[in-house]
Amino acid sequence: MSGNSAGPGAAVIVGGNRIPFARANGAYARASNQDMMIAALDGLVARFGMSGESVGEVAAGAVLKHSRDFNLTRESVLGSRLSHTTPAYDVQQACGTGLEAVVLVANKIALGQIDSGIAGGVDSASDAPIAVSDGLRHTLLASNRARTPMDRARALTGFRPGHLVPEIPRNSEPRTGLSMGEHQAITTAQWQVSRESQDVLAAASHHNLAAAYDRGFFDDLVTPYLGLVRDQNLRADTSVGKLALLTPVFGRGDDATMTAGNSTPLTDGASAVLLASPEWAAERQLPALARVVDAETAAVDYVNGDEGLLMAPAYAVSRLLARNGLSLQDFDYYEIHEAFASTVLVTLAAWQSEKFCHDRLGLDAPLGAIDRSKLNVNGSSLAAGHPFAATGGRIVASLAKQLSVKGSGRGLISICAAGGQGVVAILEAL
Amino acid sequence: MRDRYSDLVNSRSGKTVAGMLGLPRPAKLRRYVPGQPLLVGAAVVKGVAGAPLLPEIRQVLASMAVPDVSDAATPDVATPDVATQDVVAAQASPSPAGPSLSRPSPSGSAPRLGAVVIDASAARVIEDLESLRAALAPCLRRLSPCARIVLVGTPPESLADPTAAATQRALDGIIRSVAKELRGGATANLIYAGQGPGAALESPLRFLLSARSAYVDGQVVRVAPADVRAPTDWSRPFAGQVVVVTGAARGIGASIVEIFARDGAHVICLDVPAAGEALARVANRVAGTALQVDITAADAGQRIAAHVAQRHDGRLDIMVHNAGITRDKLLVNTDAEWWGSVLGINLGAQLRLNEVLLDPELRGGLAEGGRIVSVSSLSGIAGNRGQASYAASKAGVIGMVQALAAQVADRGITVNAVAPGFIETEMTARIPLATRELGRRINSLGQGGQPVDVAETIAWLAQGASAGVTGQVVRVCGQSLLGA
Amino acid sequence: MADSLGGAPEVNSPAARPSADPDANANRNANRNANADGVAGSEVGTGPTIITLDALPNLGVLFARAAATSIGRGGALGDVEVRRPDVRVERTRLAAYDKVCGFALRDELPATYLHVLIFPLQVVLMVDRRFPLGLPGLVHVRNRIVAHRPVDADEVLSLSSSARALRPHPKGSQVDLVGEVRVGEELVWEGISTYLARGASAPGEVGPETHPGVELAADAIPTAVWHVPADMGRRYASVSGDVNPMHLSSLVAKAFGFPRALVHGMWTKAHALAALEPRLPAAYVVDVAFSQPLLLPAITNLVVLQRDQGWDFVVRPARAAGDHLRGTVRAI
Repeated sequence: MSGNSAGPGAAVIVGGNRIPFARANGAYARASNQDMMIAALDGLVARFGMSGESVGEVAAGAVLKHSRDFNLTRESVLGSRLSHTTPAYDVQQACGTGLEAVVLVANKIALGQIDSGIAGGVDSASDAPIAVSDGLRHTLLASNRARTPMDRARALTGFRPGHLVPEIPRNSEPRTGLSMGEHQAITTAQWQVSRESQDVLAAASHHNLAAAYDRGFFDDLVTPYLGLVRDQNLRADTSVGKLALLTPVFGRGDDATMTAGNSTPLTDGASAVLLASPEWAAERQLPALARVVDAETAAVDYVNGDEGLLMAPAYAVSRLLARNGLSLQDFDYYEIHEAFASTVLVTLAAWQSEKFCHDRLGLDAPLGAIDRSKLNVNGSSLAAGHPFAATGGRIVASLAKQLSVKGSGRGLISICAAGGQGVVAILEAL
Repeated sequence: MRDRYSDLVNSRSGKTVAGMLGLPRPAKLRRYVPGQPLLVGAAVVKGVAGAPLLPEIRQVLASMAVPDVSDAATPDVATPDVATQDVVAAQASPSPAGPSLSRPSPSGSAPRLGAVVIDASAARVIEDLESLRAALAPCLRRLSPCARIVLVGTPPESLADPTAAATQRALDGIIRSVAKELRGGATANLIYAGQGPGAALESPLRFLLSARSAYVDGQVVRVAPADVRAPTDWSRPFAGQVVVVTGAARGIGASIVEIFARDGAHVICLDVPAAGEALARVANRVAGTALQVDITAADAGQRIAAHVAQRHDGRLDIMVHNAGITRDKLLVNTDAEWWGSVLGINLGAQLRLNEVLLDPELRGGLAEGGRIVSVSSLSGIAGNRGQASYAASKAGVIGMVQALAAQVADRGITVNAVAPGFIETEMTARIPLATRELGRRINSLGQGGQPVDVAETIAWLAQGASAGVTGQVVRVCGQSLLGA
Repeated sequence: MADSLGGAPEVNSPAARPSADPDANANRNANRNANADGVAGSEVGTGPTIITLDALPNLGVLFARAAATSIGRGGALGDVEVRRPDVRVERTRLAAYDKVCGFALRDELPATYLHVLIFPLQVVLMVDRRFPLGLPGLVHVRNRIVAHRPVDADEVLSLSSSARALRPHPKGSQVDLVGEVRVGEELVWEGISTYLARGASAPGEVGPETHPGVELAADAIPTAVWHVPADMGRRYASVSGDVNPMHLSSLVAKAFGFPRALVHGMWTKAHALAALEPRLPAAYVVDVAFSQPLLLPAITNLVVLQRDQGWDFVVRPARAAGDHLRGTVRAI
């Protein structure tokens, strides 16, 4: 599966664009998902001089979505500078949405069904949909179905004042009622991840992201929006010492190690990645930063089984490595999404654990340790923030550029998602 | 062409302001729109002494379908009244709207003149200047609004004979004075054409006659013989070419982008990453490309070249240095940081970018026959209180242009600058009111210029056909009194 | 006729009084004097009287005052200019406006948003006693916006407005309220709102009135169908500040002879412009003539036809004859 050039049937990453990520109720408090997706698309179009042009398809999505946004991506395309003849569809796989969209587009390109496409994602925690309660909804629907005014009146008698309490979407698993943080706190305790190691990872994320901004790494990856020029959550001057002062928000007693500093905040933002066949890119004299080698998705039974909610990437990576004949150490860069610092640390620990690799992954030997200096080298979600569906596009574009700058090598992407899922992929320099 | 309320209804506030200041109401300048006739009215072409360039001038005008109403039989004799009844009246729209010329037409039947072009390149003695006067003076009474006077002379420095040099230098004085005499948005400019210019004359002549030069007045342009690439289509001279414009997100930069795109170029719009949202919008409007680069970064030149190498077969045709900042303070109060940032961005970055992009070995660098156009400023010529750093940088640009032009001439590359005077932009907001009003009025056109006026002049200098124009600083100032 | 200015039934509190240039107090007195004897202020010599606003006036109060002082107006146009310097756009207000009108939220201001900023100046101008037409019953019949260049939310704007060209019309008289927006000294936006005062007289001959040249067949296929909800007038009022009661309440609308509340003409224009938004050029003129009022709630059709330099468009009732609005967009 490996090679130094993108042959026929390959999909390459031409480049990406995102808007700076904003803290919830921050700079994009009044922006809708569609507003932000349009901004991300328009920046991408400008970067590659594609105003008025069409691509094979645009696949993108959002995790928190209004019902009116049933066709969010296509509507965003219509509001952008892309040609109106560009097809589009919505994708949703929780925090895996962005990467899954990249995989979908890349696969279609590899199959020759399309020659180019844009994958993306967007999320707004500020402009989240609020639903009416089920009781009110059923009452209103019954009234709507009524054929006579009398029936309608009768249907409306089903209304109760309590129905007026709206349902605000919660960051919790429908089947367990636990929030993602609460789930992860259990896993963190199981794997005995220390508070300090989490804070060290968080500080590194901020420092790496700030350094990447300072050396201009994001000059061709980020386009400002609504006056925001860098990620609002970024704290270049943070330190392990400062992070250690924060009070834990998840976990109990001595196991309470997860703070607002080593967990991702609620965030607003959007990202988009341009993918193409090597021929399409060459014809237009567009760059090819990296090749999409392969991808894998896994899911774990966190409900009735005994696996942690965010452990699926550990499984997915194991299978992806096996299929591609690679070892965990065969990579120059690792992009492990920092839903929580402990998610990354637990995943790394699991791969080093003989017991986990044997019992859970069915391996004779553990996958082993990685060189931590190759991990999230340009910062990740703890510093940048995590607008759920936009994170995949952020990571893919950043890793592709990093590989292109290095000029050789391979990168591994690992993203955990709600519902006990994980989406992982391999990119390779060209 | 800007569409103003005054097109519909007589402007009240404009009249009032002008009335309060005791100044004449400025004329509405005719500005270029694709497809418009070159002139409002017919043209008179005359010559004094031998007038060797007359055939070429006539040919240029004929190629633009300008009615010629000069007395062609006696090119060297000034005819007091050149008007003849058999001439075709102006083919153009009767008026560009706005007030007409100050003086009424002497006779109802005589056509208004859109342009007067006089070849005085062979004038060598004082008596030739009388011929010039006799040829020019009667025409001045019959000019259309926004008419054009263009004199063609021979560079005085090329003449050894003191009388000949004096005669030619006299043209400079004449044109500067006539420009001040004209009303109604009319301009007067002088071209000093070097020996054997061939078609090199066509580009400056077309520009100075057209509405593209609306705010260029009382200027002297030197054109030398050159290997001229005339475009197949003069309305799209940049078809197939690639231009980089720095500082493209706003103001004059955004206007430059639009003009180059209108005239056929693919524009790479460059600005600092923080200006990215506006930059993307500017680029998308013209189907150009946005390139977020801080030009003061050490690798800025390499990044531009890499972009061009990747996207455009490594061929960069035109580099427009427009990015600039002001940090106005009296020198006595200016610290090293402010001083350094202005010089660094406005001058240092340009010097470094040029050095990189002019490396013939660099893929993505400036092509043979390429063009560099820098934005200088009247402040760089005349100086300005509180702008020592800015004036230093903008005067420095002029020095750079003159030195660089000679250095790269053998590669067919030209290097020029424009020096905008008072241009109505967001930057002029920072000027105190009294100074601002003064700046706007102390020029022969009695008004500030528009960003598009600067952009049009830059585009002209960047044309392949402008190969004979290099090392020059063209003021876009409406003949401002400053630094003149 | 869709956009009509009416008066509120009662006076609540003193309006946010405009302060004046150069000395606020002195000019306030001057204005008062001018109001008292009904003669245009002359403190600036031959120039116009300039009213400078430091803050947004309370439009509800101004509407009320306009109603109370509408009797006995007439004569020539006073030479008054209302200015508001150093205006900064509030992004939250912009976002709310964008949402109600259908624009995507971006840093670039919709051309019609600048009208929203200018509108209070127009009202101050019309409430001033030197304005010869009574504000209640004035009908917004045409709006022409010249967007010289895109304007961003982070730019500091100077607004000015004046009344020009009072002229007779077969049904009364018309006047143009002209607004200008500058960034520094650069003119970036102009708006001309033409109002018709039925039955009012103006000096001079009835001249030809131009109209945007829209060529769209009566049976043209609609580009979009709008379901305009009953509260759209209230929603637009909340984001634009134009709280003219006939847009808010059917009762008031009835008092003015309309069967139901009507939406603001400038909402209709903005919503139509929003439909063209991603394709608009950098500089353009959008010119509309309002005809039938758009009564709420409504189902209307938007018909758009591309032209060489822009678009022609019409907003018309989905199931009835006539037009609410006819307009053009042309690049400049």
